[in-house]
Amino acid sequence: MLRWVLPEYIQDALPAEAAKLEDLRRRLLDDFRLNGYQLVAPPLLEYLESLLTGAGQDLQLKTLKLVDQLSGRLMGVRADITPQVARIDAHLLNRKGVARLCYCGSVAHAVPSSLTATREPLQLGAELYGHAGIEADAEVIRLLAEALQTAGVGTSRIDLGHVGIFKALAQTAGLLPQKEEALFDCLQSKDLPGLRELLVEAPEGVRAALLALPTLYGGVDVLARAREVLPRQPEIVAALDDLQELASRLAGLPISFDLADLRGYHYHSGVVFAAYGGNSPVALALGGRYDSVGRAFGRGRPATGFSLDLRELAAQVPDPVAAGAILAPAGGEAGLSATIAALRAGGENVMIELPGHEGTWREAGCDRRLVLRGGAWQVEPLQGE
Amino acid sequence: MTILNGITLALSKGRIFEETLPLLAAAGITPTDNPETSRKLIIGTNRPDVRLVIVRATDTPTYVQYGAADMGIAGKDVLLEHGGAGLYQPLDLNIAKCRLCVAAPKDFDYAAAVKRGARIRVATKYVNAAREHFAAKGVHVDLIKLYGSMELAPLVGLADAIVDLVSTGGTLKANNLVEVEDIMPISSRLVVNQASLKLKRELIQPVLEAFAGAVKK
Repeated sequence: MLRWVLPEYIQDALPAEAAKLEDLRRRLLDDFRLNGYQLVAPPLLEYLESLLTGAGQDLQLKTLKLVDQLSGRLMGVRADITPQVARIDAHLLNRKGVARLCYCGSVAHAVPSSLTATREPLQLGAELYGHAGIEADAEVIRLLAEALQTAGVGTSRIDLGHVGIFKALAQTAGLLPQKEEALFDCLQSKDLPGLRELLVEAPEGVRAALLALPTLYGGVDVLARAREVLPRQPEIVAALDDLQELASRLAGLPISFDLADLRGYHYHSGVVFAAYGGNSPVALALGGRYDSVGRAFGRGRPATGFSLDLRELAAQVPDPVAAGAILAPAGGEAGLSATIAALRAGGENVMIELPGHEGTWREAGCDRRLVLRGGAWQVEPLQGE
Repeated sequence: MTILNGITLALSKGRIFEETLPLLAAAGITPTDNPETSRKLIIGTNRPDVRLVIVRATDTPTYVQYGAADMGIAGKDVLLEHGGAGLYQPLDLNIAKCRLCVAAPKDFDYAAAVKRGARIRVATKYVNAAREHFAAKGVHVDLIKLYGSMELAPLVGLADAIVDLVSTGGTLKANNLVEVEDIMPISSRLVVNQASLKLKRELIQPVLEAFAGAVKK
């Protein structure tokens, strides 16, 4: 075994990529801060029960486990930061009103979430707690759109859905949990032939509605079509009203709809959304409302938010144009030190030359050098390397 | 990656390509080359924004999942083995039809071999589908993965039975095998990359609808 080989789906970030990730992380977190979101940093490891509370089977399979040698209990490496932030809001902050929190950190996935995914995503997200109204959903979706723009993702689209519609239909259909799972899989992949097979014995009204669901995607006209083909159950009408309201509040953003997108259906409770963009074959960001997750930590709170993998996002945006460094000669002469300090204070990257490395400084990132001309230190282009 | 302002459709040579031609025609798409005679792997069409890529049948879902093709046409058998994660499969195209079956030598007592709790040795290319089928029956199964000439396995004592696609049954007959159990009917599906459907809906949706309208019931 070669010692430098990394496990599958695990990678380094070399200087160019690391710089890009850090640049994006700073700009996005700054953006969140200016929108009132406070940064929190939950731990990488926690007791397994806390990590998996209120989450679905997916998260259980994704979480790497190890035994805590201090307590003998099972710990997990977080696979998702959202439940940790929900725990912080529910239990530690205990604020009465609204709490806006954001975070950025590494998570580990025991199995990669897609063929193109990493097992160590850099998860960045924002969550809004304490407000059940549609204003909160609109705010986080707008924040996501702003983040994508700040990052510089070219064409993008934010797809809205609502898990309330499927929940209401599944309840009316009175499906066994096992069948509900299969139904969920078929809807998720818009597998109409599979759906038809599953629903042979379902009552006619629900059958037609569930078969229509995978075709209800596209522009805002989807909502009008949905009102025609879906039954007028109060939960469904309320969900469609919510989406309509969101569409008008988010006018100007590249919004579309997909009423069969049920990702995170096991813990989501209302409006859900997914952002697509660039060349990525999968969604760049996922989010939605999850009002009941905090209950497991002692305080159920309205909650909505989104998260994304910064590595995936970084792959979809142009490289930042980094200015080259300035090479300065070694030696502690006062005038030189003062010049270097002034340049650094102005945001320049100044690298001190060490003896015996001629011809290697351009590779190290230098494109200019400090030269003494007529008693004054001047910045000149780096020649002859 | 995909062509930025157009769509790429992944197809396999042979039966799937032949039977897809009428569907493509319904969508107003005519390939400029025939993959049976041309060695090109990327084939243009009469529409500058639509191109075809010729892949091996089992690779179609992979190309679409990675977004290397926006859409593809793949047999249900291939999708079952692939798992279909991350793909939309909205349309049964009703082409390249056949059945996934269990077959065994004429003198093999299959009914006795698959009593609940029994153990059977099965050779197949479709290990996932076979595993699921026998698990549902409550039969232990030792699976032997083969890539072709499945019919040989029971004849030379490699396996008790095989799980394979059957369309006419000619090969089974020629090798003294009989179909002992039907697992499921197979036909080809249209698969679509999820992000492509969202970002290129204006291009993909009309093709999808044209295909849907042209499918033989």
